[in-house]
Amino acid sequence: MVVTGINNLPLSKVPRGKAGFVSHFTDQLVASKMIAMGVLPGTRLELIRKAPFGGGCYVKVDKHYLALRKQEAACIIMR
Amino acid sequence: MHNNEVKVLNVAVLGNPNCGKSSIFNKLTGLRQKVGNFPGVTVDKKVGYLTSPSGVEVKILDFPGTYSLYPNSQDERIVVQSFTNPADENYPDVLLYVVDVTKLEKHLLLFTQLCDLGLPVILVLNMADIAEREGMEVDAAFLREQLKTPVIKVSARTGSGIAEIGKELDHFIEQPRNLQRDEPFYPFSKIEQQVIQQLEPDFPGFSPYQLLLLSHHYEWLSFLDDAQKDLIKGVVEKTQMDSLRLQVDETMRRFDHFTPIALHAIKQERASSSPVTDALDRVLTHRILGPVIFMVLMLFVFQAIYAWATYPMDWIEGLFGWMTVQLQAVLPDGWFSSLLTDGVLAGLGGIMVFIPQIAILFLLISILEEVGYMARAAYMFDRLMQTFGLNGRSIVALISGGACAIPAIMSTRTIGNWKERLITILVTPFISCSARIPVYTVLIGFVVPATTVWGIFNLQGLAFMGLYLLGIIAALGSAFIFKLILRTRESSFLMLELPEYRTPVLRNVGLTVWEKVKTFIVEAGKIIMIISVVLWVLASYGPPKEMAQAVQDAEALAEAQSLDEIQTADLVAAKQIEASFAGHLGKFIEPAIQPLGFDWKMGIALITSFAAREVFIGTMATIYSIGSKEDEFSIRDRMARERDPETGLKVYTMATSLSLLIFYVFAMQCMSTLAVVRRETKSWKWPVIQFVFMTALAYFGSLLVYQLFS
Repeated sequence: MVVTGINNLPLSKVPRGKAGFVSHFTDQLVASKMIAMGVLPGTRLELIRKAPFGGGCYVKVDKHYLALRKQEAACIIMR
Repeated sequence: MHNNEVKVLNVAVLGNPNCGKSSIFNKLTGLRQKVGNFPGVTVDKKVGYLTSPSGVEVKILDFPGTYSLYPNSQDERIVVQSFTNPADENYPDVLLYVVDVTKLEKHLLLFTQLCDLGLPVILVLNMADIAEREGMEVDAAFLREQLKTPVIKVSARTGSGIAEIGKELDHFIEQPRNLQRDEPFYPFSKIEQQVIQQLEPDFPGFSPYQLLLLSHHYEWLSFLDDAQKDLIKGVVEKTQMDSLRLQVDETMRRFDHFTPIALHAIKQERASSSPVTDALDRVLTHRILGPVIFMVLMLFVFQAIYAWATYPMDWIEGLFGWMTVQLQAVLPDGWFSSLLTDGVLAGLGGIMVFIPQIAILFLLISILEEVGYMARAAYMFDRLMQTFGLNGRSIVALISGGACAIPAIMSTRTIGNWKERLITILVTPFISCSARIPVYTVLIGFVVPATTVWGIFNLQGLAFMGLYLLGIIAALGSAFIFKLILRTRESSFLMLELPEYRTPVLRNVGLTVWEKVKTFIVEAGKIIMIISVVLWVLASYGPPKEMAQAVQDAEALAEAQSLDEIQTADLVAAKQIEASFAGHLGKFIEPAIQPLGFDWKMGIALITSFAAREVFIGTMATIYSIGSKEDEFSIRDRMARERDPETGLKVYTMATSLSLLIFYVFAMQCMSTLAVVRRETKSWKWPVIQFVFMTALAYFGSLLVYQLFS
């Protein structure tokens, strides 16, 4: 277990600039799509910034970048 | 199979989005490609040809970028549709699977799925140049051995390794069996084995993994008939198979299998992410700066469209004018000459004149797309767009709508959610397209003085901007209404990959522009041509007696006023159109449009405008008998002088002009767009709803404005 101080927080609540690892997903459909895009339990995620207009998250996955909606990010539980 | 037995080798190119697949396709086939449609759906099907080193003709099909065989959008579904049905016309002999080698691990998922389908796959490692620059070493020999598949390192950017692909295809033609794998990447679970066993007898020729995919996707696979769907449904229910659960498990197990292989194959000296992308995105996707920069960029795009397109548009208009004069000189006077010049040539010119604007718009948009910026725009505006029932990806369509709604509507195919896509299609025509510009120019001239305010702004320019804003408000407002009305059970996702910023490959940009322009000419062109000819008939023919009478009256009047030859001809034309079927139609609808401040002459122009808005100017020119010197300013002068024959008051008052402007902002006056909407939504229902909705808004908007100002 990596201690990052974000135990069991959904990705949407992770402070900006913090990195952590995916623990599990709370929604099957989101899970299936995320996994197809290479985000699995154990993948390292970093929340880089939030979108304008109170929008989604700009996330760094390993070496590449993903844009997620707030609702999508809320289904990813981090550890 | 041997060389002389193979006539054409069918090859499919496939890969994740942003893997550089299209660059490789373009590099392999060059201009030997054409765009069609997959049967039953409106997903672009790009087919190209190449001759292999040994002289075999190879047909290459470029499939849409896909993450997995559990699809998210219509584009991705077509892949499953084509590869799960061995009888499909697009079922390939061999697959070229392209990966971005810097993201090898992630991209191998679909590769293993494709292998398990039983298809021979050649693995193409793209972006070898970038990997090298980033200090990344790829052990291709190891991959070849572990994945038991041919592996080729290429760079679509520099062209290195591309020739190897042809050679590898030749190897395959000589020894096709070499690519068949005997052990799957994914061993089925118990429940999956049951499903497959029960389906097997009824689907001979399908591989086990194909059968499994049938059980996941049978509801929308169009090659299955109802009896087959019922049969699969029965099996799924009997085995209590939980599609989503199995899908997640399968994907996880695949990752477990190939992740160690990918990690072992790649040696990275320094852990790198792209410092350029990080730095650029700090500014370009900044919460405040980001949207501002986007607006500035779009302003530049529109400035470019208007500034650069003027010259080629003038040339095209000049060319068609010249051709008309030449034809009239060569052909004897009569209906045939008139049909060719006023019907066919006028229609053709009306299409061609939009090519510069469409080409420039797509040039700039596809550069932004290639660079990787458009994905950022979608990310930044997703939340805002969602408020209106749209998707972040809708922003591209709405912006393109500023040039022409037709290519804009075609660009909505990347929106996975049907409701969001449909709403985008329905509201895009509200965005003021380039065809409205001439109408706006003429009418604003009546209403707004060309004075300068606050030192820098031209008042007419501001009015212009106001009309554009009105269009945007109408688009977002009606999107909001559609959002409340339309119901869907489908969930909506953004989940967008933001690719690293890269310098655009000019070849790709050029091919995109070429393809879009071609689609516009063919799709819109057909309809505009037909409508032009119909309109020509309506405007040239009428009840014979009345037509003859009109000519007589005009000639008598001309003699009385001692007009010269040209003026006489113009007057005859004006009287003729009044007596024609179009004139009758105009008078017929006059009672309906009178409350909007329009007379029958404007009625004719409104009717002809339903073919395309820019026809308004030409029609007005004919009606006001200045057909021989048809340009915006002589028309404006003539219209300004127009007075009511009974009351003697000016016809184009402030109220009438404003009302007409509002009508042109809102009304659905473009047959070509309606035709494209039908094609994209596969039913007449939506174009009809769109037409009624927009026309009603235009009617009541104009009514309100006229009653307020008159």
